[in-house]
Amino acid sequence: MQLPGRESAEDINDLLSNLVKRSEAVTALLISREGVCISKAGNVETLNSTALAALVAGMFAATREVANIVGEEQFSILLQQGEKRHIHISLIGQRNMMIVVFEDYKRIGRVRHEARSIGSDLVRILENREKSKKEDSGDISVPEFKEYALNLIDRIFVVGEEDDASSRSN
Amino acid sequence: MKRTMPHLDPTEKQIVFKIVYFGPGMSGKTTNLLYIHKVLTDKYKGEMLVLDTEKERTLFFDFFPVSLGTVQGYSLKFHLYTIPGQIFYEASRKIILEGADGVVFVADSSVDRFDDNIQMFRLMIENLRSNGIDVSYFPVVLQYNKRDCSPRLEIGEIEKELELDSIPVTESIATEGKGVMRTLQVVSKEIIKRFQIS
Repeated sequence: MQLPGRESAEDINDLLSNLVKRSEAVTALLISREGVCISKAGNVETLNSTALAALVAGMFAATREVANIVGEEQFSILLQQGEKRHIHISLIGQRNMMIVVFEDYKRIGRVRHEARSIGSDLVRILENREKSKKEDSGDISVPEFKEYALNLIDRIFVVGEEDDASSRSN
Repeated sequence: MKRTMPHLDPTEKQIVFKIVYFGPGMSGKTTNLLYIHKVLTDKYKGEMLVLDTEKERTLFFDFFPVSLGTVQGYSLKFHLYTIPGQIFYEASRKIILEGADGVVFVADSSVDRFDDNIQMFRLMIENLRSNGIDVSYFPVVLQYNKRDCSPRLEIGEIEKELELDSIPVTESIATEGKGVMRTLQVVSKEIIKRFQIS
């Protein structure tokens, strides 16, 4: 039996994979508004998805400010046209975005159609996930998590003697 | 007003905390990040993005991810960002602060930058409040950078002016790497100490 959370992760990945296949896109990513990659499908090896997610989230937020300036609440779709590759970005609910990278610009209509058609399914799955987040994260013991995390911080963010900048030089 | 919540994903098994380096223009925010990126072992860090202008001023933000390892089956990550310090990049700053779990306020220790530090700190509090954050509970570390400059601010001057009672304070010379890792350690610990699942 699968956990509900695991099932939703697979559902999201299936939706993205189908979109990539049907629109002949290079890759599709689902990211959060904070710039964290939630799921990805297609050719994901050659793209730095972490950086892409951070940049697109910033770009989308900036575009929201632009929308406000011209009297719109937000723009729900962003399109970046390049020489060989293009990016279609669409809002998924209020908290997430989907990025589709594709190569044949003539397929823009198809990309847009496929992105729109899975949008509502993604919103529903993500909303359910958000509701069950607390239960699904029940496997975390917060006090122990803190203890281990603080140990990792001590071990990795190493502070040496040369780190001291408090000595008075003047 | 809400308390912050990291990106917690039980299905993808990851917890991502966002740390933002805030402060006036040219106070050394990017220098902090560049140093951290330089000293961290490859296995812990991702590629660094630097989006700056030809005058080496941050245009939008700098960014890189740090993966500390696995805790209770969850991949623990910190995403480090800087903001553009120039006063006219108000919209960018607000955007980058969105979803932040903690802030390092990088103050310039030069005496003649005192007012810039104060103005920018107040803007940060305004930005956080406008994002709905309960600032009384939000982790902020005050880093007095450029401790090698002269004349320089005394530790406590900024806190006194802003009436900050118990803010953690560090001193640094980011160009030499001094105090940079200590600051990162302090802010990440402050964030972890406040972590809760809500």
